[in-house]
Amino acid sequence: MKILLIEDDREAATYLIQALDEAGHVTHHASDGETGYAMASSMDYDVLIVDRMLPRRDGLSIIESLRAENNHTPVLILSALGEVDDRVTGLRAGGDDYLVKPYAFTELLARIEVLARRSTPAEAATTFEVGGLQLDRLSRKVERDGEAILLQPREFRLLEYLMKNAGKVVTRTMLLENVWDYHFDPQTNVIDVHMSRLRAKIDKGHANPLLHTIRGAGYMIRD
Amino acid sequence: MFRLSQLWRTTTVRLTALFMLIFVVFAVGLLGLVFWQTSVQLQRQQTDAIDREAAQLMKLDSDGGFRATIVAVQRLSTLPGPGIYYLADPSGQVIVGNVTDLPPEVVAEPGTYSFNYSRPPPFDEVGAAQRQGTDVVRTERLSSGLILVVGRDVVERRGFTAIVFQWFAMGVGGILLFSLIAGVVTSVRVLRRIDTITSTSNKIMAGDLSERVPVTGRNDEFDALATNLNAMLDRIETLMQGMKEVTDNVAHDLKTPLTRLRNKAESALRENQDEGARREALETTIEESDKLIKTFNALLMIARAEAGTPSGALTDIDLSAVVGDVAELYGPLAEDEGLTLDTDIDEGVRIHGNRELLGQALVNLIENALKYHEPVEGKAGLIKVSLKSAGGRVLITVADNGPGIPEADRGRVVERFVRLEKSRTEAGSGLGLSLVAAVARLHRGELRLEDNAPGVRAVVDLPAAQGATPQN
Repeated sequence: MKILLIEDDREAATYLIQALDEAGHVTHHASDGETGYAMASSMDYDVLIVDRMLPRRDGLSIIESLRAENNHTPVLILSALGEVDDRVTGLRAGGDDYLVKPYAFTELLARIEVLARRSTPAEAATTFEVGGLQLDRLSRKVERDGEAILLQPREFRLLEYLMKNAGKVVTRTMLLENVWDYHFDPQTNVIDVHMSRLRAKIDKGHANPLLHTIRGAGYMIRD
Repeated sequence: MFRLSQLWRTTTVRLTALFMLIFVVFAVGLLGLVFWQTSVQLQRQQTDAIDREAAQLMKLDSDGGFRATIVAVQRLSTLPGPGIYYLADPSGQVIVGNVTDLPPEVVAEPGTYSFNYSRPPPFDEVGAAQRQGTDVVRTERLSSGLILVVGRDVVERRGFTAIVFQWFAMGVGGILLFSLIAGVVTSVRVLRRIDTITSTSNKIMAGDLSERVPVTGRNDEFDALATNLNAMLDRIETLMQGMKEVTDNVAHDLKTPLTRLRNKAESALRENQDEGARREALETTIEESDKLIKTFNALLMIARAEAGTPSGALTDIDLSAVVGDVAELYGPLAEDEGLTLDTDIDEGVRIHGNRELLGQALVNLIENALKYHEPVEGKAGLIKVSLKSAGGRVLITVADNGPGIPEADRGRVVERFVRLEKSRTEAGSGLGLSLVAAVARLHRGELRLEDNAPGVRAVVDLPAAQGATPQN
């Protein structure tokens, strides 16, 4: 994946570039808003990681300008401002996701990988299939190898989100945000309990499990 | 204490001055009109009198001849009063009359004249100044050929004018003086009370937050203002107190995990460590820093909630859905820990609030109930989450049947960082209930901890939708 990182803190940028490189991504770096905007509008990237507070030009104005030019490259906003209002402003400016500093690298990686996939039209698909597990978004039916699985509405949304991002890591925070629409950190393993229930419903009695726990990161559904 | 310039700046004095001005303009206009009408009337009466006398004398002359006229004019001339009578022969030589100094042209031609005169004072006013005045006269040539001049000395009319003017000036002066005094007295009273407020606020600005504006008990606007100011000061004092507590507690409770963090990092750097131990130390470092971040986040959230979030952060939300969702989120976890999470939620309860903060508050209450629950033999653990709307209040309740909080500690646990000694070993920042209390206050409600016998019943008591307007 080709990533543009617009971040003025050199140390944080160096660390991110190295970590993204280890994860197999090519990262370009701009250390101020103007340069970042010039690079983002002249080259083709899969994802932009934009710090909100930048010298010479702030992050939100870069995103607004890009969107006005019909540039729809997915954007992850990084910010120290983490209140609901700040998040809403960021997303309204055209950002696709919002991550509050400080963050775990696994969280950032999971989010940009999910974002990059958004540019392909899978978002609009009405059915998902992963290794014999099928989910129909319209009839809201789930079956594995032809056998119907009964899910609670919330479990359905969990599975739907996982399958939409099949093969990608989704973190607990991403699940809480996308399935429950809350942006706080639960102090306990509240998401894990839901996942183990979901796992019991879809993997029980099958030789190859589909729902995997990725240690230190989150969950992934894959073949 | 009161300078004149300060007095002038007060609204009362300015308004008084304005009203005074308007009043004087109207009074002058009205009195002027009355005066003008009166003098026109007087003049007409005079002219009528002159015409009447002239007509009578002319009739007398034509009926009774010139002798009768001379006798009549002579008699009229001796009467006291403003009347002017003068009779001359056809050549202009005076026969009788009470004036001697008529201008020659008045006598020469019949007609109506008005002229100024200056003549010596009457004999009974010896030593008085020359009399200045105006005469209005009518000259007629009688049928006998004599020349008759009848008129009035209008000095009396002028006297009337002077009196009117004098009274008028006194009246206006009186009004001006009265309203000025009234204005100054009111202003001084107003200024004195404002000065009390100013001096109180000066003391407060100098650092004495315990000062309060005196309330007189008269229940007027100033009392309303003073009461509001005092309420504001109470709030500021609470906030300041809170801030002081936070800094104290940040110093105390954040330094401990920071020290642990530092120790772990140091131990990872130690020479004689094997790779596994080093890795473990680094992992602990990350865990510790995550805990610190959570504590900071909680502190920030409380600070924001207590400061009153910016307008727009409070919207019309479906509280039933919020409570339902959070209870559903925690249901499986409670079950895994051997507890039952029951719900009793009124449908369609909407309030004006912040969904995230209320959700977080409820999460904190449920997590507390889970965390402090001690399994008791033969007694099933139960957490009951309910939402009730009645009588203009909305109650979110999380009740458990755990060990409960001793009566004496109930108020204290809501304070920041307070964790009862027993629970020091449990994980957590000690900010959970403080955040719930702050969120409740943001929504103009309160957090109450009640005895559930056994266990704790945490009640978030909020005003229903109509009353819950945004603070800002």
